[in-house]
Amino acid sequence: MAPVIEIRNLKKYFGVAAGTNHAVDDITMTIEKGTTMGVVGESGCGKSTLGRTIIRLLEPTAGNILLNGEDITHAKGHQLTKVREKMQIIFQDPYSSLNPRMSVEDTVSEPLVISKKYKSKAEINDAITEIFSLVGIDQRFRNAYPHEMDGGRRQRVGIARAIALNPEFVMCDEPVSALDVSVQAAVLNLLMDLQEQRKLTYMFVTHDLSVVKHISTNISVMYLGQLVETSPSDELFDMPLHPYTKALLSAIPSTDIHHKKEQILMKGEITSAINPKPGCRFAPRCPHATEACSQPQALQEVGKNHFVSCCRVKELG
Amino acid sequence: MGNNPFLSVKDLRVEYTSDKKAIYAVNGVSFELEKGKSLGLVGETGAGKTTIAKSIMRILQCPPACIKSGEIYLDGEDLLQKSEKDMLEIRGKEIAMIFQDPMSALNPLMTVGEQIAEVVATHDKSLSKHEAEQKAIEMMEMVGIVGSRAVEFPFQFSGGMKQRIVIAIALACNPQLLLADEPTTALDVTIQAQVLRMIKDLQDKIETSMILITHDLGVVAETCDTVNIVYAGKILEKGTVEEVFDAPTHPYTRGLFDSLPKLNEKTDRLTPIPGMPLDPSIKFEGCPFAPRCERATDRCRQGEIHETHLGGTHYCSCVLCDQRGEA
Repeated sequence: MAPVIEIRNLKKYFGVAAGTNHAVDDITMTIEKGTTMGVVGESGCGKSTLGRTIIRLLEPTAGNILLNGEDITHAKGHQLTKVREKMQIIFQDPYSSLNPRMSVEDTVSEPLVISKKYKSKAEINDAITEIFSLVGIDQRFRNAYPHEMDGGRRQRVGIARAIALNPEFVMCDEPVSALDVSVQAAVLNLLMDLQEQRKLTYMFVTHDLSVVKHISTNISVMYLGQLVETSPSDELFDMPLHPYTKALLSAIPSTDIHHKKEQILMKGEITSAINPKPGCRFAPRCPHATEACSQPQALQEVGKNHFVSCCRVKELG
Repeated sequence: MGNNPFLSVKDLRVEYTSDKKAIYAVNGVSFELEKGKSLGLVGETGAGKTTIAKSIMRILQCPPACIKSGEIYLDGEDLLQKSEKDMLEIRGKEIAMIFQDPMSALNPLMTVGEQIAEVVATHDKSLSKHEAEQKAIEMMEMVGIVGSRAVEFPFQFSGGMKQRIVIAIALACNPQLLLADEPTTALDVTIQAQVLRMIKDLQDKIETSMILITHDLGVVAETCDTVNIVYAGKILEKGTVEEVFDAPTHPYTRGLFDSLPKLNEKTDRLTPIPGMPLDPSIKFEGCPFAPRCERATDRCRQGEIHETHLGGTHYCSCVLCDQRGEA
């Protein structure tokens, strides 16, 4: 299968008062058509920045972004508009990502109007009817405003807006973390149905590990701007290799009261990605850190599609 | 009095008034908590969990909130009958609360040391300023922050550390009851694990009872002894963590478990709970979950639904258990 998204050595740095924040540092990944790449990590690790840089909401500092093999790293003007039709985003907060002064119908029709693909109002109208039934919003909400809807419905509007132009790639930035569990399940089901019907490719950014396991084909684990491990979803949970991945997975509170797992408690807090030292950024919290960890780390292939960035992975097993 | 539980809440009802409309937030909640034990209050947004905690602490703003009826006994004394002056003594000393958002719970203009010392000095007038400061430093070290950072301001700390300072403030006077309102929701999982472990260790050390408010069933499983499932201001099911997690009985509790993605089993589709929570401005009759429940019958929509005893300390408020002993 052909990759829809390929990124090579992507970097995104922000200048801040204290120096340079290496929010996304030298990340390479490939996302195949129709699959979901889950991206997990703690707050501030750069997972949202990565997603937003890929869909060109943020200007990359270095590296390349390829969409269906075409380099879009520096796409501008008309080309960028065309690219945007193919790449969309669903935001975390369904409350602040919708314009409170626009009716639901206006919000969803805006991308259709901008694309100039539809010749008449009637055509746009038909398209909206179809999109609404696809994402499960009752037609009576067409003229409603965001404040009249609950969180789950609003997030459906956000999804409707994202898929209105039939994109190939959708970046889902914590789309269910603002929702209650009973509603969250319905939205996750919807995203998976849409993926199947439209062969969508997702990048799914979240800090909720059980959600990411449920929805992802592959998972990438980030720590302070760097990719520490990437693997097929099940394999990551069965056989995590990077010490950070192991600690992260062991910290998930489980509802299984009879099989208590041993938690790996980490020392200290996440430091920052501002002016980082070379080498593994997890080393200060890592129980297995040695001298060698202060050298720059390379991703090593340990299995099919399974890569780890840890120099001690072989000896630690 | 000997056999009475340490904390007992009886038929608590709280209403808010907004735009002349009543919002029925807590609708007859009763539960008990033993000394040194932890109780999890679980429910979705708007279920009334925080209102219950604030009623115990007596920090509900009135108006708009109004405690319509109920009794809250702490160590045999009804907190709702206490004067505001007595409550000032009790708050912070006997009952302490950890708030959800550590970013907004601290005063940005005071050093963290001053904020901990303030609580200590308020409740123990015999202490000198210096002694209160010493105690503050002690508390900081207990929650794993070096004492020399007592002179720093909240903005100089990370989210996890701020939450530990909030916990240090709450525990400074060795309270008998700790109300933890989503203490780890704003934190990352690895930090959450550290903070929960710390609360538990401190709780063992000073024998505090705790009410942990959360929407995360996993957190309850890891931290609590007993659990109450709250929906629309009512407790639908309660029991020990083992009783409720091994045999979730109320259709709402089952719905909550079913809608969670599981880590250790493969599910293709999740099972969401259909429908939406009740509009809290409408006074409901019968079971509040009936409009969303697949098994609801006419009986569910009328009259009072009684708690059925399922054995041990396991209770469930569902007509189906009432009829057959088990749903």
